[in-house]
Amino acid sequence: MLCPNLLQNMKTALAKQKATALVTITSHFDPMFIGKKFLVWEDGHFNNEPELEIIYASFKDLYLSLIQKQKTKCIRSMINEQEVECFVEIYLPRPQLIIAGGGHVCEPVVQMASLLGYYITVVDDRSEFARKERFPLADEVICAGYLDYFQKCPLTNHTWILLLTRGHQFDVMSLQELLKRMETPAYIGMIGSRRRIAGVFEQLKQEFPATAFDSIYTPVGLDIGAESPAEIAVSIFAEMLMVKNNKSGDSLSQETRHLAKLGFRGGKSE
Amino acid sequence: MNELEILEQAIFLKERKEPAALATIIVKKGSVPRNLGSKMIIMRDGKIIGTIGGGCGEGEVIERAFDVIDTGIPCKHTVDLTKGLFYEDGGICGGIFEVFIEPLTVNKE
Repeated sequence: MLCPNLLQNMKTALAKQKATALVTITSHFDPMFIGKKFLVWEDGHFNNEPELEIIYASFKDLYLSLIQKQKTKCIRSMINEQEVECFVEIYLPRPQLIIAGGGHVCEPVVQMASLLGYYITVVDDRSEFARKERFPLADEVICAGYLDYFQKCPLTNHTWILLLTRGHQFDVMSLQELLKRMETPAYIGMIGSRRRIAGVFEQLKQEFPATAFDSIYTPVGLDIGAESPAEIAVSIFAEMLMVKNNKSGDSLSQETRHLAKLGFRGGKSE
Repeated sequence: MNELEILEQAIFLKERKEPAALATIIVKKGSVPRNLGSKMIIMRDGKIIGTIGGGCGEGEVIERAFDVIDTGIPCKHTVDLTKGLFYEDGGICGGIFEVFIEPLTVNKE
């Protein structure tokens, strides 16, 4: 059953950046089990009732594989030759967005990031820019050198990074530090013109293996002709969602446009 | 409101002993309005918190949830949106989804 200490355990784990599976028994040969819940993490589990242990133990590998794939799913399996069905919901920690550079593009980026539910960190090496009053919606505003910050900041596969500093050399410096780290963030977006970026990549290729560039998106954003800071923010978040959801970034109407012309029965003749 | 916030609300209502049920989408096939794990709380007076898809099948889930609140027995309910594929019907989603409905607090009258 849903109970306060189950939810509290879940929230504590998420705050520690741990993906959590909430398991609900949705079908069981003994009706007393239906609706009972427990939690599973990659490094352990939690439940209130000892009789649920057998279900956890029987399905353990399935739970762990769903956590790894970040996939919510209803699963069925046999226990003592009887079918048991569990609904496994994966709750992911709140993703963190680190924005390097508190300039004019950063402002709408913070606003939109707040709407989308990110934990927002703004970093700038200038104290007049790294002010909380400039970014009331940010969770933290840090005044630090980019090199120092990116050497030590926590990185997980739920960390998203935008390099939007005032000078291309600062973006490149930050990128080099990030590439040296063992941990790989979900996404690194770097602003800049195609011409300048080509030069940077020539230089980085000699230092890092080709696979190091897989999570780097530069120039940042989708090709929607964004010019103003707000438009650039839209283009950046559109790209980040595309990456997160592993989608094409094409217009949804593209596939159906020709069908619409044939009529809404999908072109079937009757 | 995200699903974690709905769970928080559910606990809040449970502690206040308000008769209510929690519905969660556990299986879906084809085009349906919301994803697996989407949740809705149904109160005995008909108030809802969250959504599992607006007009598309929510009404019948609310009806079943009243039974769950009154009996205290969880149930599964399948919503079929494949019938009436026309815009005029409102239900234009064209898929099937299954909802698990569990009691939070049973209605004792």
